Amino acid sequence: MVMLEQAVEHRPEGESFFDLCRRTLDRRVLVSQAAEARICRLSCSPRELPEIWQWLTRYLDFSFATLVVDEIADGRWSFSYLFYRESSPWVYLEFPLEAPHAVVPSVVGLHKGPAADWHEREVEDLFGVTFEAHPRLGEFILHEDWPEGVNPMRRSFDARHPPVHRDPDPSWQPPTVVEAVGAFAMPIGPVFSDFAESAHFLLETVGEDVIRTIPRLFYKYRGVEKIAERQPVDRALLLAERFSGTSAFAHGLAFCQAVENISGVEVPPRARALRSLFAELERLRHHTAVITGICNSTALAIATSQAALIEEELLRLTCEVAGHRYLFGLVRPGGLYRDLSEQMQERLEKALDGIAARLDQLHASLRYSSSFLDRLEEVGIISTERARSYGLVGPIARASGVPSDLRKLFPYAAYESVDFEVPTAEEGDGYARLRVFFFEAQQSVFTVQAILSALPPGAISAAGFTVRPGAALGAVEAPQGAAFHWLRIGDDGTVARYRTTSPAFTNWHGFHLAAENFAFQDFPIILASFGLSNAECDR
Amino acid sequence: MANWVLQGLRTGIKTSSYPKRPDSSPGISPGRPSSAELGSRAEVEGLVQRCPTGAILAQNGGVAVEHGRCVHCMRCSQTNEGAAAPWDQNYEWAADAPDIPAVVSRLEREFGRSLHIRFLDAGACSACVSEARQLNNPYYNMHRLGFFMTPTPRNADVLLVSGPVSDAMRLPLRKTYDAMPEPKRVLAIGACAISGGVFGPSFAAAGGVSEALPVDVMVPGCPPPPLAILHGLLVLVGRKPAAKLVSLPSDKVIGQS
Amino acid sequence: MSVAPQLLGLFFVSCVIGAVCAVAVPLRRNSFVLAAIGSLSALLILAASALLLAENSPLRFELWYVLGLGRLVFSADQLSALFLLAAGLVFLPVSIFSGVYLPKYRKHYDLRYFGVLYHLLLASIVLILIAGDAISFLISWEFMSIASYLLVNYEYQREDSSHAGFVMLAMSEAGTIAIVVAFILAARSAGSLDFDQIRSAGRLSEGIGWAVFLLSFFGFGVKAGLVPVNSWLPLAHPVAPTNVSALLSAVIVNLGIYGIVRFNLDLRPVAGIGPGLIILVVGSISALIGILYATVQAEMKRLLAHSTIENMGIVAAGIGAAMTFQTSGHDLIAGIALIAALYHLINHSVYKALLFVGTGSVEASTGTRDLDQLGGLARLMPWTSALFLVGVLAISALPPLNGFVSEWLTLQTILRSAALSSTAVKITFAVCGALLALTAGLAVTCFAKVFAMGFLGMPRSEGARRAREAPLGARAPLALLALCCILFGILPTYVIPALGRAVSPLVHTDASVALVPPFFDTALQQQENIPAKFVAEFHDLGAQVGGSVLPGRGLVVLHRGGETNPVVFAMSTFYMLFALALILAIVFAAFQFLSRRQGLKRGAAWDGGLRHLRPQMTYTATGFSNPVRVVFEVILQPRAGEDSVEAVAQHFRTAIRRNHSEAHIVDRLALEPLVLAVQRLASVARKMHVGNVNAYAAYVLVAILVVLVIGATAF
Repeated sequence: MVMLEQAVEHRPEGESFFDLCRRTLDRRVLVSQAAEARICRLSCSPRELPEIWQWLTRYLDFSFATLVVDEIADGRWSFSYLFYRESSPWVYLEFPLEAPHAVVPSVVGLHKGPAADWHEREVEDLFGVTFEAHPRLGEFILHEDWPEGVNPMRRSFDARHPPVHRDPDPSWQPPTVVEAVGAFAMPIGPVFSDFAESAHFLLETVGEDVIRTIPRLFYKYRGVEKIAERQPVDRALLLAERFSGTSAFAHGLAFCQAVENISGVEVPPRARALRSLFAELERLRHHTAVITGICNSTALAIATSQAALIEEELLRLTCEVAGHRYLFGLVRPGGLYRDLSEQMQERLEKALDGIAARLDQLHASLRYSSSFLDRLEEVGIISTERARSYGLVGPIARASGVPSDLRKLFPYAAYESVDFEVPTAEEGDGYARLRVFFFEAQQSVFTVQAILSALPPGAISAAGFTVRPGAALGAVEAPQGAAFHWLRIGDDGTVARYRTTSPAFTNWHGFHLAAENFAFQDFPIILASFGLSNAECDR
Repeated sequence: MANWVLQGLRTGIKTSSYPKRPDSSPGISPGRPSSAELGSRAEVEGLVQRCPTGAILAQNGGVAVEHGRCVHCMRCSQTNEGAAAPWDQNYEWAADAPDIPAVVSRLEREFGRSLHIRFLDAGACSACVSEARQLNNPYYNMHRLGFFMTPTPRNADVLLVSGPVSDAMRLPLRKTYDAMPEPKRVLAIGACAISGGVFGPSFAAAGGVSEALPVDVMVPGCPPPPLAILHGLLVLVGRKPAAKLVSLPSDKVIGQS
Repeated sequence: MSVAPQLLGLFFVSCVIGAVCAVAVPLRRNSFVLAAIGSLSALLILAASALLLAENSPLRFELWYVLGLGRLVFSADQLSALFLLAAGLVFLPVSIFSGVYLPKYRKHYDLRYFGVLYHLLLASIVLILIAGDAISFLISWEFMSIASYLLVNYEYQREDSSHAGFVMLAMSEAGTIAIVVAFILAARSAGSLDFDQIRSAGRLSEGIGWAVFLLSFFGFGVKAGLVPVNSWLPLAHPVAPTNVSALLSAVIVNLGIYGIVRFNLDLRPVAGIGPGLIILVVGSISALIGILYATVQAEMKRLLAHSTIENMGIVAAGIGAAMTFQTSGHDLIAGIALIAALYHLINHSVYKALLFVGTGSVEASTGTRDLDQLGGLARLMPWTSALFLVGVLAISALPPLNGFVSEWLTLQTILRSAALSSTAVKITFAVCGALLALTAGLAVTCFAKVFAMGFLGMPRSEGARRAREAPLGARAPLALLALCCILFGILPTYVIPALGRAVSPLVHTDASVALVPPFFDTALQQQENIPAKFVAEFHDLGAQVGGSVLPGRGLVVLHRGGETNPVVFAMSTFYMLFALALILAIVFAAFQFLSRRQGLKRGAAWDGGLRHLRPQMTYTATGFSNPVRVVFEVILQPRAGEDSVEAVAQHFRTAIRRNHSEAHIVDRLALEPLVLAVQRLASVARKMHVGNVNAYAAYVLVAILVVLVIGATAF
């Protein structure tokens, strides 16, 4: 290959991205355009993967979105690595793989490699593909009693019946890393706390601070991607909404956008505006719930109550204007199921004024509670380069100085017409995350009010369209960050492959960075300051 | 230094009037389809077709609703593809599990005013967890009714389970149940916990909590609003009558005159 | 006529027989014979000392005359009797325990050698305690030092053994030198090496007096393990065989205290308030540092060694307080303080021996002494655990056991510093009292850790999982010592008069009457001028045990003040025992009654729904004590190093290693600089070694000239 670095540096004026690829990459790599030059396809062989990964992430500063593995026939996979960057086409790096040689080089050691870590482990667990030189394969999604060699995402696996579980090795124990005199691993979960979602943590320590923690997730794995297969689109939409109830609208929207991208459907402007409105309403409520969780973890009771009041009022408001407290059953491919009446618009506007004022007051009061700030400031820090390296997304990444937001990078629905801000902070500690959540909540209120003031009239759904076969990506900024839903619809109009990468999946990976090297008693607070959902990660 | 006490006092009392008096604030429940005697057969067929989970059934010329299957997709309430289903805007949805007689499943009088609950997430989406969490907010404040959460099953009287019981949570669920002392009861909330919802039964999720444990009371909904969960707890301690899990056209819905 | 001298004589005969048998008896039965003869010797000593203590007839033997130095004299007064009793109380169980413990050395080491040294050690200890003149004292002292060194270094094939033994011997000899010089200075003014003569000699000049005090305190302090000369203790204990460790901690350190008391309260009583304060301060600091290092230890014998330093510090503090009170004219309070100190000494011997024997049983059963590797022994070794628990409760000074009584008394007497006049002294007492209180708190933490991590929870290693109950030969000594702990705890009103007999010659008042007034003995009341009104008021309080079957002086320890304040402090562990037993019985009965209709379901501990709870997921001793390590970081100054092994990328660390190392504060501040200075001096002096024979001849000549000059001018 041409010296990749130099190729980028000495880029001639006005060269398109596609030409750059053609010029730089090996002739064996096929460069093609798709979707009106919004997607750049690079078809290569597995051996070239590491080098192209390095080129894209290091020199061209692309971010890794997701890895889509599709078993198109028995023993034949197609791998797609998806990358994105500001003002650039998406890059789909694709190669096929045949069963007897199902080994792919791992990219975890490369620049921004950790972002692919969990993707590779998931593929290994669910498809049985080995990633060469990945140091920690196995025991990821499928826990220790799952039979060896049975991979649920394979075509040959029947999704209706569980396999025969094996007796796990009696001496098996979760891997620990710390070697020191008197070191022990304090277990938390999977059943713990009052209302925590099920997950298991092993805090390795020698008594005071947590040296290493390895969260063990996927206790709630429900196989959404598998059971969506061979379902009609409107049934699969139910799955997309419900695997993460608190971000139901966002995931439903991403799914619908994927369907619309496949079928080339144009969503009417009123529907687009309402989609942004409801998405922001969901974001507002989600962030308020996270703030309630943070106040609860620091045992600041009145603040918790104040925030919980706002959260419940938002839930009731959502129920009034959208028919369901969590916005279930609202979005559909082509638009929305329900419209927003004049009366409800007024109700929304009035209510939001009050809520914005109370959020401001809460924020101001919290800013002056020194005992509260003590628990959050300089606790649970993720540095900017770690956040970039792990590919973290959403408010958590923005609190660590990574300003990426899909609403600004690839505006969808009606976001282009609203001039809202995306806040960032530099410290990456709990307080930075809290500030980002507050600010984003305020911006959500602003966005909703802006949309309400200029709501276009018209239909709320595209007139009846048929779902065409094809594959496309729907990318949405869910409340916790970038959500990618890849959909391939088969010839019979049912789902052939459904791949979701949720922001919780991406961000849970980076959780251990924040929890390590802090005291035991900070752990629940760090956990709360992330506000991540296990259901969203485990699917 | 912020003056939290003053702020709290200024906020006033927000608590719901339920269960003393019915609460009719807007937005406390999305409502659910109810059974009715409908005239037109086409209407009935249309509704049955529209329901993606088979919760609406045709019966005796009307619609019956199997509430445990309803995942609140709200499609039967839309009017763009046909008539809307009859709607029950209430929230008192808790029903006895089909195989356990009511008299056995109620807790003794002693627990009526002091009940300890262990919540267990057996694969639930965060909506059910979030609704359960709302029980602690000032609007619902379950403490005033004598219900408390406990982090250890050793102190728990009731196991509040949501989720279709994912594969990896079978063992923790069983261990939690076994760790509870007698008398103990299981309250399953949400469509997933009753029938598997949209997720089960499958290779990764059982078809509801009753596949793994004996369930006493079920609260349907997706997610059940906090007042429905509260109703479920009140049913469990015998302070409120239960609703039906399957509404037939001849039934009257609770709350309607 | 007392048979005590005969018993003592028999004791020595028994030791000789023991030494002979150790060599003659075949190896198979050697340890049994050692146990038997050792127990016999112990019983003889116990009998002898009990008789000596009970009767008020001190012994005196004069043996042969050593040329130029004086007669060898052996005299045993009641102070010696007390220490002999304490020694006998430890010899007995340790000897029994040796019977089952020593066979493990049969393959690698020579048991005959051990037996000879063992009996020699016993004999030399007794000789020290009954020595009546400086020569016999010093000779016995040396024998004891060397015998204990050889026994500590018994496992000579181990590397750390030689180092520990060397440090112990070096410091011991340094101490001995100081003692020798102190004796010489004291004897010089008296003109004789006989104790009686030294006792009755006139006052020393200020300078000599201070020199004598400091040298003797230093010398005996080494043996007692006081800061800053305690470095040998934590090194010696882990490497010595466990029965030797028990002897070391429970008997040999007592000899240091014996030396301090004998020298500075009996032979050459100190003048002025300074020495007492110094002992008080040194004792308090030793106590704190001892327990601090004990709390952060995970190896049991090292932990117990540091705890010995702590307890000796408490004893020394009591003695220092006694000296201060005495030189300020408050003889009665001095007596009380001395009683408290000696009570603590006996208690410490008993419970420390218990803990060491328990540790030995645990080690024999599980193969490890590391608390991070033990656990779950309460179920596997129930008797040993229960008896060990008694020792743990005693050393944590929890009522109604013996540790509580002596600590309580010590702290109470320190509070009595209000009677002193000088403010500076009162402040010193207050600060030392605070240090001792802190020590008591840390002691509870430390031993809660020992018991919880060692015996409760889950076994953390294969050795712990395979533990079996110890044999009878190990449990019997534990039971015996536990019984002593309990008895000394609930019957202080019998112990204190015995101590009072030993103490009264030193402070010239009978402090035991002030502490345990004879409520039921009218003759004694009149003799001691106790007002009838006082007796009448508190008669019922000081309830008699068992009517007239076991007449005692009452069951309450109280300090009788003057008219305005009839009772200054009071307590009764006997009543406490009854109250506790009653409460326990009531609660138990209530529980049984209330749950009579409930079924009982047993299950594993709740672990959050895990498949298996592993021992590695439970707290370790190091983790338990980490907060203490953090809080006292200034003193401990741990050095931590971390390195990690990466696989592929920093993202995946397959191992993170953390090493903690701590240098003892005394080593850091005192020993290392000293060693460094000596080494520097030596390297300077080394320049003299030029290697040239002529130069050396010149040195000899110069030395002769210097000596001649000095000799000429001195006379």
